[in-house]
Amino acid sequence: MREEGVVIDYAIGGATAVLFYAEPTRTYDVDVFALLPADESSSLAPLVPVYQWARAHGFTVDAGHILVHGVPVQVLPAYSALVVEAIQTARVHYYEDVSVRVVGPEHLAALALQAGGARRRERAWLLLQTARIDRDQLRALVRRHDIDVEIPDEA
Amino acid sequence: MKREFAGDRMVDVFARKRAWHRRRAEAPLVEKVRILLDLQRQEIPLLAAQRPLRRWERPWNITP
Repeated sequence: MREEGVVIDYAIGGATAVLFYAEPTRTYDVDVFALLPADESSSLAPLVPVYQWARAHGFTVDAGHILVHGVPVQVLPAYSALVVEAIQTARVHYYEDVSVRVVGPEHLAALALQAGGARRRERAWLLLQTARIDRDQLRALVRRHDIDVEIPDEA
Repeated sequence: MKREFAGDRMVDVFARKRAWHRRRAEAPLVEKVRILLDLQRQEIPLLAAQRPLRRWERPWNITP
């Protein structure tokens, strides 16, 4: 998708990304944040080219998800400055010798805190408790993106 | 005396719980995927009893 210019860059986020840094938490889909070409990101249906690409390559698209080997993948256009930054600073990890870009733990926690809600606050707490989070970096992130939260020294 | 004993026991329980969470957090990625699949299989019947499942809410058909 990236090679064909359908997306500029991407990174796995959400609960699936948490797997790379902390204790597993349940999820049923893989969230993928995508930087889209400028003309697509400003359109009313920015993901149409993504779904077209997926169908053309034999993937099923169902209820906003692309089924990749039985796993529903939801592509989410970068919707905020924090998401753009999370994609740009993503880390490269390997799963069974396949490289994947994954949102870093500090950005994952900041995104969860920014989104709010009980489940996401729990996710941020889980990351603070069990992932190796750079708390000063996280504090700088939440300040820069106006997220009103205190990051404790210990979780 | 009794209360102190119960307090010590609780401290021990919390310490073991923290260690258990730490082990899960530091497990290899493939093991974590296995745990996730178990969580999905355990939760789906509970979710289905509460509300209609969304189309993508089903255990992943993969072998880690």
